[in-house]
Amino acid sequence: MTLPTDRPDDPPALPVEISAAPDIPYGLPEHCGQAMVRTCRLSKSYGNFTALSDCSLEVSPGEIFGLLGPNGAGKTTLIRALLGHLHPTSGKSLVAGFDPQVDPVAVRRHVAYLPGDARLPRHMNGKGVLEFFAEIHPSGELSRSLAVAEALELDLSRRVAFMSTGMRQKLALAVVFGPRTPILILDEPTANLDPTVRGQVLEEVLAAGRDGRTVMLSSHVLSEIEQTCVRVAFLRRGHLAHQLTMSDLFQRHRVVARTESPLQQPTNRRSKTTALDSEARKKTTASADAASATASPATPDAMARRGDREAAFWEVPSELRSSVEVGWLDDGRIRIDTAGDLQPVLGWLSELPLVDVRIEPLGLHAVYRSVHFGDEAVVSAGPPCSTSSDVGA
Amino acid sequence: MFDLQRRGGVMLAPLHSLRRRSVPFALDRMLIRKAIGQSSLLFAALAIALFAFGWVRVWVVTLLDMQQFQNVLEQFRDYEKFAPISFDALFTYSGRVGMTFDEPIVILCTVIWCIARGSDVVSGELGRGTMEMLLSQPISRAQFLMSHALVSVVGLLLLCLTLWAGMAVGIEVTTLTETIPPPSVRVPFTSLVIPLSDEAPQQITVPLSDRVDALAYAAATFHLFSFGFFLLGLSTLFSSIDRYRWRTIGGVMTVYVVQLVMYGLGKAAESLRFLQGLTFFNCYKPQKMTAMVNEGGASAPWNWTQPISDGWLPPLVYPLILLCLGMICYAIAMRTFRRRDLPAPL
Repeated sequence: MTLPTDRPDDPPALPVEISAAPDIPYGLPEHCGQAMVRTCRLSKSYGNFTALSDCSLEVSPGEIFGLLGPNGAGKTTLIRALLGHLHPTSGKSLVAGFDPQVDPVAVRRHVAYLPGDARLPRHMNGKGVLEFFAEIHPSGELSRSLAVAEALELDLSRRVAFMSTGMRQKLALAVVFGPRTPILILDEPTANLDPTVRGQVLEEVLAAGRDGRTVMLSSHVLSEIEQTCVRVAFLRRGHLAHQLTMSDLFQRHRVVARTESPLQQPTNRRSKTTALDSEARKKTTASADAASATASPATPDAMARRGDREAAFWEVPSELRSSVEVGWLDDGRIRIDTAGDLQPVLGWLSELPLVDVRIEPLGLHAVYRSVHFGDEAVVSAGPPCSTSSDVGA
Repeated sequence: MFDLQRRGGVMLAPLHSLRRRSVPFALDRMLIRKAIGQSSLLFAALAIALFAFGWVRVWVVTLLDMQQFQNVLEQFRDYEKFAPISFDALFTYSGRVGMTFDEPIVILCTVIWCIARGSDVVSGELGRGTMEMLLSQPISRAQFLMSHALVSVVGLLLLCLTLWAGMAVGIEVTTLTETIPPPSVRVPFTSLVIPLSDEAPQQITVPLSDRVDALAYAAATFHLFSFGFFLLGLSTLFSSIDRYRWRTIGGVMTVYVVQLVMYGLGKAAESLRFLQGLTFFNCYKPQKMTAMVNEGGASAPWNWTQPISDGWLPPLVYPLILLCLGMICYAIAMRTFRRRDLPAPL
């Protein structure tokens, strides 16, 4: 079964496989296929401004999926297009097997959504708000909303108009965590919350994941994404720049060390296709070149003395080439990014003339920076991550 | 009941069991309740004002003797063309009470309700930022708009009926004092009146209900409702396009004032009379309806075949035009709202 296409220049219809109902409580309808959320070349433009461009991604049932990106990257636009609040300029999407442009009500029946700036009817008190939303949503559950509100220590007798920003956010969270929908979409859920409540909210997100609900979580707080998400997508200037599975990220490490004597940077850096912005890439290359000129003055004599040793140094064993990326930091230290099991890499490292060796997990922050500031090596090292060109098409 | 299944101590709702709890005809019970809650204070204030004004306005009619009223009005005979009906039709208690429907307070209360409620539906919710959460629930935009419209229209109807009820109460409880002159005889072909008695004129007190029937204002009330319905539709249309409520109100008020000026100019200058036909005010004829009741009975204003004396169309067609225009505005508003992008809260 495929979505109908109205115009010849429409993007390709989303392939939707008919499969048996998945073995999870919040399973998809039979017509939905494998992905709970699927977009295909979804774009949204406002005049000359493109808020979202050719975004193709899939979110599997039961997955906690993170959306990362700076302000204006297109995260909220993507979410609002999925809910039917926005009409895409082009592209298709399916949420729980329903096209938001065709049947947005069916989509929202399966989704509990927390907007980035959740505003609630100001004339109601807290309890009235919870009752209202529990009643209006077919899978609403007042007792659960009340339980969440109690856990968040929310005063429900107060009118919304007299609540602080944090209290309103708590109330909105109680509203959203009430319905037992298969999909939970949270746009910056921990904004305006104190650290304790943040922890509670993240625990609630994890609990939703454990219950088999699909969660899409948009946040600027990288640690929260690391803590909760199974997979994460990076948006940049409306483009889906990168996707990453957190388990892969946790297997990635960065080795930083100094060489016993200054070495020249290699010139044959491996190049890999990513969605990095070309300008950012140029900037990084320029800064790396500048750093190399400072760190290792490549005079002809020095080159001659170090020739053999240097060649040996850069010769990454063939069995590690797919999982090791070597580069330089701005301060002249060598940087070796690894993916997968560290055991075989450690053997190779022990043979290298390195001092002050430090091995650290390659956190989401490094990937985030690489996506948004053009450090290609971090993005491309290791097992290939899916990019906007190979997802969902 | 939802088909819930228990897993790991948590009640889970399978996808196919999710159903809507709504009333028929694309309305949503909770949205209706919310709209009632939001508008109840305004409604209560306007209802009290209209009821009280309707009552007081009737009472004020009795304070001024008919002869005195006639003398006052004759002073303004040159400006009769600005009046909705001829002055002669006003020289009755029924006609004077019927003027209530053209009183600024009545018009103001109606306009306030219609513009306040109509402008709130889309741009109001967008401006407050509450639309995002509301339309993230499984309700369609049509349900959202129609639920709001239902409350607004029923509220308008109740306000019109409240005014009518206030007038009816006023008519029932108010008494008027009439002066009966002593018997006299008029000499034929002269203006000479010869009293047959030297007694002083007799004053009698009669209930106003002996002179005025509250049912005579049913058609006028219907006209007021039609007038308000059009304004509601117009406000809703502007609201469905916009994202700022203040701008919606400004737009509707601009249309209102321009139409009012056109209507006034059409009345003032014969050469501009065609402008009257281009304004919706031309369809609002409550006093004319009252006069028709006095002249042709209670069913006269409901005729839809015989054109009125100084107009082109039958009396029932005028309010129907307003109702149709209101419906068209609502239809366009619905279409616009369903097709537009919802901006994120600012």
